[in-house]
Amino acid sequence: MNTLIILSALGIIALFAEIFRFRKALFPLILLGLGGAFFFTAKEYNHPQIFLGMMNFDNYAVIFSCAILIIAFLWFMMAKNYFLQETSVTDHFALILFSLVGAVVMVSFSNLTMLFLGIEILSVSVYVLAASDKSNVMSNESGFKYFLMGSFATGFLLFGITLIYGITGSFDLASIHTQVAANHDSGLVIAGILLLMIGLAFKSSLAPFHFWAPDVYEGAPTTVTTYMATVVKTAAFAAFFRLFSTCFAGVTGHWTDVLWWMVVLTLFVGNVSAVRQKSVKRLLAYSSVAHAGYIAIAVVSMGAASTSAILYYTFTYSISSISAFTILFIVSRHKGSKDISAFEGMSKANPLLSFAMTVAMLSLAGIPPTAGFFAKYYVFLTAINAGNTLLVLIAVIAALVGIYYYFRVIIAIYFKPEQQLVPIKVGPLHRTVLIITTILTLLFGLFPNLILGWI
Amino acid sequence: MTVYLFIILGVFAILSALMVVFTKNPIHSILYLVLTFFAIAGEYVLLNAQFLAIVNIIVYAGAIMVLFLFVVMLLNLNKETEPHKSILRQLIAVIAAGILLIVLVGSLKGADTMTIKPFAQNTGYIENLGQVLFKDFLLPFEVSAILFLAAMVGAVMLGKKDIK
Repeated sequence: MNTLIILSALGIIALFAEIFRFRKALFPLILLGLGGAFFFTAKEYNHPQIFLGMMNFDNYAVIFSCAILIIAFLWFMMAKNYFLQETSVTDHFALILFSLVGAVVMVSFSNLTMLFLGIEILSVSVYVLAASDKSNVMSNESGFKYFLMGSFATGFLLFGITLIYGITGSFDLASIHTQVAANHDSGLVIAGILLLMIGLAFKSSLAPFHFWAPDVYEGAPTTVTTYMATVVKTAAFAAFFRLFSTCFAGVTGHWTDVLWWMVVLTLFVGNVSAVRQKSVKRLLAYSSVAHAGYIAIAVVSMGAASTSAILYYTFTYSISSISAFTILFIVSRHKGSKDISAFEGMSKANPLLSFAMTVAMLSLAGIPPTAGFFAKYYVFLTAINAGNTLLVLIAVIAALVGIYYYFRVIIAIYFKPEQQLVPIKVGPLHRTVLIITTILTLLFGLFPNLILGWI
Repeated sequence: MTVYLFIILGVFAILSALMVVFTKNPIHSILYLVLTFFAIAGEYVLLNAQFLAIVNIIVYAGAIMVLFLFVVMLLNLNKETEPHKSILRQLIAVIAAGILLIVLVGSLKGADTMTIKPFAQNTGYIENLGQVLFKDFLLPFEVSAILFLAAMVGAVMLGKKDIK
């Protein structure tokens, strides 16, 4: 609850910063506030609290909120320079802070009304942010597309909630669990679960509900894309798993088969489409779709280890993504192009950028010394424990395809002839972000228990 | 008696909803949508939810439909400017929607044997609604303030002119 209050207050302060002209002080204030929110959230670890029967701040909620706050902290450091060149920096920051409130609600809800509100707060802010580059047609298209498709998906989610309410007579997760178990052979339960799943699959961009993702990710400003690929995805999967593990774990027969096929389709579509991309931004967008498929493996094979696997995967994926998107942002601003060719031969003049990009790409591909390897390892482990060996086989093949396109970027950096030896200027904030994310990626790859031990 | 009224209103709502989709003229679609909302509001009254019925008419049939009309008239949407959709796409849409219909109808088929909660006489009254909203659902009520604030900030941000 403290987290919610601090984040909402920060959002309102950000709005006041425009009126009372303390824009310069806003950025340190936000970082301080996020640090404070992290401190107060972490203090609630092992002290589960239930607020008015609507939010259950158990360890799951605390850990995912902390992860989201850390990612948001890195995001603000990465995005500061972009938004300072815009005139409405305070509005952007306020919207991001409000959407963080939505993300925290999404990881801590114990009532379907809160789930709906959390998703909507997060989505509405991100719809606007996707369209925030007003003079750019691509950005307008991105925001509009996300808004239309997102509202449609919310319709499905609401329909699902209605049917589940119709059969259980309650919005509360615990009583839904008992009521669903009691009426497990009713058609309404099946339809409700499937409609809820469609709504949540849209938010976490699982195929065949992923069609918005590449266009929206490509059209939105790079900083906003980063936010969508990291915070939004983490919150969406945390909410997905929280809902399905508390309410529908007893009736897995109704939904695991459908989700199984969705995972296979997502892995296939995400990885195969990424191979053909010229633009690194679009490549990362498809890779984000593919990663949603890997994370959903842990949801399909729901078991004791699924929670830590999802936490580890979303967190390390977000950190590597921030690294990759930051470099893409720096390079594309310097070269004026987001294509892979813009990265060609930059290793000599820019050793730090090249090394950070390589670590991020290796992590996304899942190569051993980095965190991405253990992320995939733990997800596959949950699947093997649940007897989904075929799914693991398919996912390994998909990961091999993934290695191909991630290495295209690395090869472009190191093995293509140098085009220009001018070093790209990297600001101190970006440098700090890159150093932190690279170190964290390697650190979590060597000591995965730093994350896994918490949940 | 109320059962007949329920059926009549239901058929009326479905027919006008179909007309929303089938009429070529966007203004007619919106007017049919207003009729649909009125029919649904009638259903709410039959279900003892007077407050919901009034809100439905004021907000949806009133405010939002006027907004729709404004947009349609300002953008001058008419038949010629509507993009043509290919037969294949229409076929896919019909199949997908048809499957959804079958799933929903099939799921409702078994529902008539379920035990229904006994009907409380004062369920839909404003007094009870207030009790529920400000007691059981106090937290969602307050959190929704953030949703509206975010939506307002977003609308202003998109609408205002950038000062260079």
